[in-house]
Amino acid sequence: MLRYFLGRLGQTVLVLICISMVSFVFLRLTGDPAGLVLPQDATMDQMAAMRIQMGLDKALPMQYLQYLGHVLQGDLGRSIYSQEPVTGLIMERMPATMELAVVSMLAALAVAVPIGIVSALYRGTLMDNASMFFALVGISMPHFWLGIMLVMLFSVELGWLPTSGRGGWQHMILPATTLGLSLVALFARLVRSSMLEVLGQDYVRTARAKGASQLAVVGKHALRNALIPIVTVIGMQFGLLLGGTVIIETVFAWPGVGRLIVQAVMDRDYPVVQAAVMFLAAIFVLVNLVVDMLYIWLDPAISYHRGQA
Amino acid sequence: MKIPRTKALALLAAITLGLPMTVQAQTQLVVAQSAEPVGLDAARNSLQASLNVALNIQETLFTPLENGNVGPGLADSWKFSDGTTLRVKLKPGLTFHNGEPIDAEAVKYSFERLLNPVLKSPHAGRMEQISSVKVIDPLTVEFKTNAPFAPILHLMSYYLTIVPPKATAATDPDAFNRKPIGAGPYVVESWQRGGDVVLKAFDKYWAGKPAYDRVIIRAIPEESARVAAFVTGEVDIVEGMSVQSQRVIEKSGKGVLTDSMGVMPYIGLNTNKPPFNDQRVRQAVNFGIDRASIKKALFNDRGLLTPGPISPRTFGADLSLKPYAYDVAKAKQLLSDAGFPNGFDTTLSYPTNMTQIQEQAQALAADLAKIGVRAKLQPLDRAIMFQKYKNREQDMYIYWWDDSPEPDRYMYSLFHSKSRDYYYKNADTDALLDKGRSTLDRDSREKIYNQIDRKLYQEAPWVFLYVIPETYAVSTKVSFNGRRDGIMYLRYAKPKN
Repeated sequence: MLRYFLGRLGQTVLVLICISMVSFVFLRLTGDPAGLVLPQDATMDQMAAMRIQMGLDKALPMQYLQYLGHVLQGDLGRSIYSQEPVTGLIMERMPATMELAVVSMLAALAVAVPIGIVSALYRGTLMDNASMFFALVGISMPHFWLGIMLVMLFSVELGWLPTSGRGGWQHMILPATTLGLSLVALFARLVRSSMLEVLGQDYVRTARAKGASQLAVVGKHALRNALIPIVTVIGMQFGLLLGGTVIIETVFAWPGVGRLIVQAVMDRDYPVVQAAVMFLAAIFVLVNLVVDMLYIWLDPAISYHRGQA
Repeated sequence: MKIPRTKALALLAAITLGLPMTVQAQTQLVVAQSAEPVGLDAARNSLQASLNVALNIQETLFTPLENGNVGPGLADSWKFSDGTTLRVKLKPGLTFHNGEPIDAEAVKYSFERLLNPVLKSPHAGRMEQISSVKVIDPLTVEFKTNAPFAPILHLMSYYLTIVPPKATAATDPDAFNRKPIGAGPYVVESWQRGGDVVLKAFDKYWAGKPAYDRVIIRAIPEESARVAAFVTGEVDIVEGMSVQSQRVIEKSGKGVLTDSMGVMPYIGLNTNKPPFNDQRVRQAVNFGIDRASIKKALFNDRGLLTPGPISPRTFGADLSLKPYAYDVAKAKQLLSDAGFPNGFDTTLSYPTNMTQIQEQAQALAADLAKIGVRAKLQPLDRAIMFQKYKNREQDMYIYWWDDSPEPDRYMYSLFHSKSRDYYYKNADTDALLDKGRSTLDRDSREKIYNQIDRKLYQEAPWVFLYVIPETYAVSTKVSFNGRRDGIMYLRYAKPKN
């Protein structure tokens, strides 16, 4: 177990180094930031001086090695514009992003699991079909469009909720709904199919034969087993959710990391983009690691000892 | 301790006696920008979204005026005693937000801080012409320039913000960038990065306490969300709107539109190599563009046609010039004279971050095709665009500049070979531009820029297009006008009635 964990941890570090390299190279292929940092009336001499100051005059591999050296010392660099350490810039926005992602995820689960169970139990009925239709619609709607439509309806037409920004719980409803809706759809379908599979298993039939109530069968026997695949997907979706916040945060002016990335990309603020990508990638990879560990806890049949199936 | 206690007593009295409170409600103004500020210290920020906030907190010596001149600010009076010596007299008795006195030492400190390489100020280059600053007496400062330099007052009125020496020196620069202390009309109350900047009025502002007690500046990056926030009344002033959004706002009846800084797009031509090294070809493409129709179709007819390189709103433009007429026959004749009877193939590149750029590029290319100039469109990300521009890789390119009230700002930057010589270089133009910035007398200066405008109109290194104003929507409850320089000086905003 420990050995497996350490192995996975090693993999994680390797993945992060690869990501850093890829993002470093690609970002620098997209143009020269020196001209963008200076005001537009800067002269050629001023621009040349800025390139040297920013270290852009050195060869790309040298720039990368220098960067990596700093990263290993815990220095992810400073924003080109505000000249502040990027770690601070990201960390101060992380709570907003995590808040949005976690609330969306929990809300989505709270809605999706019951829908999935009901659909599975009443398979083929009108209720099942209606839920699955709703799920399909939820998956198909692009975040961006959905967000704007919700604002139009609930803020502009009805005047119930604020259009944007972060403040009280009212501010949370629209962005979390937008972000969570596609997850509801995804999870509901997954819970349904997983439940259907489990409900057909021998042990469920046995439980029923022994006269256990519907509630006991579903709650005690079926659900826990049906949730195993869901946990994996939650892990993967959480990473995607963080990515999704890039769009949602822009639409709803939510002061999180996603919006920081968007603005930093626009401004070509390399160190910020780079560090933010690394942060999100690290969270993604770590969540997946945790999920794999959870997996073992949920299903003792899965084990990672060598020589065992 | 006394005041809160009386307030509390008053509150208690009001509640127990059921009397209405006599404390007047605070007036509050909410402004939405399309981008968030990076920092609030004007000396360290050059992006519009940052300066729009910073210049409400920090103050300069002069107040920039709409015609490119300056009026009094922290400075009461000023005089060039000779071409290179500027003597500035400060208003007596002024203080910064923190109570430090505004004196000559503070001015000297602020200037030296701006030029200190450690600060990495983007405005350092703009102050290059100033060689020294001397304190004459507590309220008198003397600036020396390397050579006579006319735009210096204009530049100082935006970029030389005066900071309190003691507090600034004692504060970490990054902390100062988050919560700067200045002498502007508003004091920073709070700012959570990414969230609202909350400002409160400064009682001792030199021009009097501003009309709004509190100002909230919010960033809403998505245009439709910005418009929604305006229509629902969450914000009072919104910046950054396309023609479509402008129509939505007009229809809602919630606000009026006001023009601010203009964007002046142009098509730059590579005069270094064929076909655009021939003046006839350059004039031909100028005759081949139907500017008036494009302006009408794409910009709801807002804006101005530009005859030459200087915006007709800017001092120095030769107002006797008429925009190149739309004349396909003449354009074809000129191309034929230049040896291109069947036209030619070329490329038209443009950065994708411009407003309505795709529509503009298509309309321009369609017009060019009618005279036989077959331009392949090359939309580029702005950083790549800039790189190709610098590397002289373009034939025709669309770029833009603000139609600044000071002609030297963009004319020197875009046409002087010391600033950039990528696609145009001309010794006579260089000489005229040098003369333009070193002549202090405004009337003589104007004549020089008139001459430059005419010369470039004739040479046509650009296809001259139009000036499209950026537009703010302002709530019907607020009186506020956009400015030529595009800066949101919120002290000019007042509640209506």
